[in-house]
Amino acid sequence: MIVTIGIACLILACTMFMQFKIVNQTDITSIETMREEELRQELANWKQKYEEVDQQYEEVEEKIEEYKNKKQSDSETAALVKEELEQSNLLLGKTDVEGEGIEITINEAPDNDFSIIKASDLLSIVNSLRYAGAEAISINEERILTMTDIVDINDTFIKVNGQRILAPYVIKAIGNKSYLESSLVGNGGYADQLRNIGHDVKITQMDKVLVKKYNGEITYKYISD
Amino acid sequence: MIFIAIILGCILGAILGINAPMISYTYSSYLAIAVVAALDTVFGGIASVVNKKFDIKIFISGFFGNAILAILLTMLGEKLNVDIYLAAIVVFVGRMFVNLGIIRRYYVEKWTSKFSKKKEKSK
Repeated sequence: MIVTIGIACLILACTMFMQFKIVNQTDITSIETMREEELRQELANWKQKYEEVDQQYEEVEEKIEEYKNKKQSDSETAALVKEELEQSNLLLGKTDVEGEGIEITINEAPDNDFSIIKASDLLSIVNSLRYAGAEAISINEERILTMTDIVDINDTFIKVNGQRILAPYVIKAIGNKSYLESSLVGNGGYADQLRNIGHDVKITQMDKVLVKKYNGEITYKYISD
Repeated sequence: MIFIAIILGCILGAILGINAPMISYTYSSYLAIAVVAALDTVFGGIASVVNKKFDIKIFISGFFGNAILAILLTMLGEKLNVDIYLAAIVVFVGRMFVNLGIIRRYYVEKWTSKFSKKKEKSK
């Protein structure tokens, strides 16, 4: 009688502890151990969460798209402005430019006091070159701009852009090289006139002439927009 | 005497149970209901010992029969989608309290009679 109850207790305790062990070691919240109802509940929760997050994601995506569009248009305008700026700098003479053209080197005639090269001579040459369609001109690396001055100072030296320049004068011009040359030589060409009074004028056609930029500051005082 | 048997059985069972292999969580609900049924039978057995009506055949058949019936009911309940195991637990736990009451009454009466006897003796 007592033995039977003892054995029964043994079996009971054995199963009980097995059960304790199962309950202890099993993660009740993990998917494998969940009951169908709980799983369904969980699934519904996750679905709802997913929908919320999805909506948020879409909103953020839209915003990103908007920003992207904005950025694109911004960069487009920036590029346009930059291009314009470069163009105007090119026209103004604030950049080094290169292209086909001619180089004129004028060496003054020695011991000839009457016919030294004057500012008017250079001006005439520049005018002739302009007439022939020169796009960029420089005298001794001084760029000729819209408000460039070419003046004589006391018949002793010439100032271009306020800089004193000395012989030999090297005039570079970019444009159609044959047009440019023909504007100076030939019948009534200014180079020929200079040659006639004894100056040494050398004209070379070049495929690549580098005209340096204007180094000073272009400032306007009286012009207003 | 009977307590020594119960305690010994419980300790040995605990050692066995701790060292036993793991059972899948799927069957844990069946095991739990079997445990409750067996617990009820053990209490019933103790109560019958106390009442001096202990029958080993009834005890053993009840021990296994109740456990198996409880497991079968639980399975049926799962198939029917009705929590029948709740009914089994209610019945078993109710009976456990009844049996516990019988055991308690017996020992309380025993001790009070002992106490009163001692008192009479001392008088």
